[in-house]
Amino acid sequence: MGSTVRYPRKSVGSEGGRKMIVRHSALFLVLCLGIAAEALVAPASAQAQSGQWVVRRTADGHPDLQGNWSNATLTPLQRPRGQALVLSAEEVARIEQGRESVVIERAGASDPDREAPPAGGTNPICIDGAMTCYNDVFIDPGTRVAIVNGEPRSSLVTMPANGRVPPLTAEARQRREESQEFNGQFGLYDHPEVRPVAERCFVSFGSNAGPPMLPNGWYNNNYTIVQTAGHVLIMAEMVHDARIIRIGDGPRLPSHMRPWLGDSWGHWEGDVLVVETTNLHPLQSYTSKSMKVIERFSRVAEDALLYEFTIDDPTTYTEPWGGQVPMNALEDELYEYACHEGNYALSNILQGARYEERVDAQDLN
Amino acid sequence: MSSAVRSPKYAVGRVVLGLLAVALVPAYAQAQSMDIPRTVSGRPDLNGIWQALGNAHWDIEPHQARAALQMVPGPVVPVPSQEVVAFGALGAVPPGMGIVEGGEIPYLPAARAIREANRENWVTLDPAIKCYLPGVPRATYMPFPFQIFQSERAFFITYEFAGADRNIYLEDPGPPQVDSWMGQSVGHWEGDTFVVEARGFTGQAWIDRSGNHASYQLRVTERYTMTSPYHIAYEATMEDPGTFSRPWTISLTLYKNVEDNARIGVFKCVEFVEELLYGQYRKIP
Amino acid sequence: MKMSTRVIYATLAAGAVAVLLYAVPAVAHHAFGAEFDPDAPIRLQGTVVRVEWVNPHSWIHIEVDNDDGTRQVWMVEGGTPNVLQRRGLRRECLPIGTELIVDGYQAKDHSLPRANGRDVTFTDGTKFFLGSSGTGAPGDGAEDRSRTGGPGRC
Repeated sequence: MGSTVRYPRKSVGSEGGRKMIVRHSALFLVLCLGIAAEALVAPASAQAQSGQWVVRRTADGHPDLQGNWSNATLTPLQRPRGQALVLSAEEVARIEQGRESVVIERAGASDPDREAPPAGGTNPICIDGAMTCYNDVFIDPGTRVAIVNGEPRSSLVTMPANGRVPPLTAEARQRREESQEFNGQFGLYDHPEVRPVAERCFVSFGSNAGPPMLPNGWYNNNYTIVQTAGHVLIMAEMVHDARIIRIGDGPRLPSHMRPWLGDSWGHWEGDVLVVETTNLHPLQSYTSKSMKVIERFSRVAEDALLYEFTIDDPTTYTEPWGGQVPMNALEDELYEYACHEGNYALSNILQGARYEERVDAQDLN
Repeated sequence: MSSAVRSPKYAVGRVVLGLLAVALVPAYAQAQSMDIPRTVSGRPDLNGIWQALGNAHWDIEPHQARAALQMVPGPVVPVPSQEVVAFGALGAVPPGMGIVEGGEIPYLPAARAIREANRENWVTLDPAIKCYLPGVPRATYMPFPFQIFQSERAFFITYEFAGADRNIYLEDPGPPQVDSWMGQSVGHWEGDTFVVEARGFTGQAWIDRSGNHASYQLRVTERYTMTSPYHIAYEATMEDPGTFSRPWTISLTLYKNVEDNARIGVFKCVEFVEELLYGQYRKIP
Repeated sequence: MKMSTRVIYATLAAGAVAVLLYAVPAVAHHAFGAEFDPDAPIRLQGTVVRVEWVNPHSWIHIEVDNDDGTRQVWMVEGGTPNVLQRRGLRRECLPIGTELIVDGYQAKDHSLPRANGRDVTFTDGTKFFLGSSGTGAPGDGAEDRSRTGGPGRC
């Protein structure tokens, strides 16, 4: 790339700043700008003579992780029991073609003279536990299994070796029981506070924005990454959640402050961005006060990142666990997911419960 | 300079150097007056945490202080409405010179009537009270910081209020497909000014707390110009033929947050408005 | 059919990742039965009077004729428009006046004329965005984002 004129970069919040006085003669200044300009117009991902892929780098020499990425996949988080980490070609075909056949089947035209669906809701290809269905037009879990290091994977979890989340500690089970006891005072639809956080439009389903950032199995598993010398920003499409990762190492938030998405510092280890997050929110998936999530981002191809995560919390899990999730280039935009602004669902749910209670009360009278 | 150089023996040399310095001053002066930080490609570097001061978020037009945002007739003069009277002085509107160039928003008559109705019903109508996304340009001057992430390939703004986000595209993807609260933004450089064109709004966001509004036809052209390492001169031109009789422009200064611990906090206010929005649907024990 | 069910549940496993330690109901997506009444199936046929392309669910307002000759506007719930935008959805898709057939289940609050759009089709039975080409899944080779299968279909 040639030499590049580098301007000393102020860290956010530094006092004063250094004046950008170019201590060169005018001629050398022109020369440097010329070299910088040439560096900019040169192909961003320089191909070695052999044609082998070389990672595109930002001006400060780090791999460029920027772009829109999707972690949608047909590979589940946890490995089905008895299965190996790596899927055979036959297993891959079964999973992928199975999904494709579902999509094709549901894409077919319906009978315009069809009746209302059956009472009680019975639809053998329905996708939710209540068997009454959402319109599958909108479901987009992915079309491929996860490929990591060329291996099609049966689970995203790779540690422990059985590919499953380890058991909770006794202390964590105790915490869970206390929480269940507290919530058990209320009916499932009594108050907004007892509904899932995704339904309340706080964050996405499961651990979509994370950390750890995991596919939600439904749709919009998309992220935008913007990278500067001082920060990496990762916005998850749902619910327009922007994680601000500061590059460096600095003080953590006090332990009583536990914001949604936690408190993240990142640093580069060679070509890997390593992010450590603490102060996770109590209602975020997988969290506890002492939990630390470590994530590693690598650009492994022009169209792929490898995302690896480890959850470390001896007060919650009997052993650390983690996994590997490919993030594939999304050649498309992310769109605004203004969840709260259009959230008829939550009021419908609460109103529905209140209606049924009124009806029940009338029936009893 | 050392005493040796100051001796008269070197007077001519000093004069020559001085003349050279003067000759090079235009280049130096240019380099030194560009004391704003710049990116690798020479653009002003807007990275950082920024925030507006002043009272534009209360009312963007020049205004004197008033008792509250929502008033009702009183026995002698109008008084704060029941919903806001308990806030006392903290619910009063502070004075401001406004940010509207020319002082007055050129509303069409019907739109001005809507503004007045908004003021009479601020508590129920201001979308920000419900933690709805603030829209553009209101997000810029709400009393919350925002952070700009500017790389060679991207320009992204995240706002503390409601975690609103804008990815300012550097390549135009075409007309927005559906409307959104924060709109679709496309940015380009004109010299040292970053110009952003935003459109595709839902028309549901307000422009401030005083009921100023626009429709889905709104197009906003923003201009971000760094005037020092710590200041951005911000302008936004508002065009909406369904609401205004002509385009009009707001201008204000954005100030950089320079504290060592400056950061964007998490203000997911969705959680804080559940009682407001859903309290009526709670189970009555 | 059974195999696809297995695939669906395998896919669901990826979605049901929320091993929450605090026992808020641990569902990855709000359970259908929380909002709609499985014992209240419904079939609607009417014309579009308004479309709200909003999240978390879109809402299509259709005007139907009741048996007694009156007219009523029903709100039909769809999914997230973001998926459809990546398949070419634009504001002018599904214009006012389009006739739709909806089957689904009414909202639990029967006083509200709202239903889920379990199956939303045009009068010939075709689904919008999955009409004439491709499976609608991203990357399925149907590159043309402006593809149309007829007026208002997109």
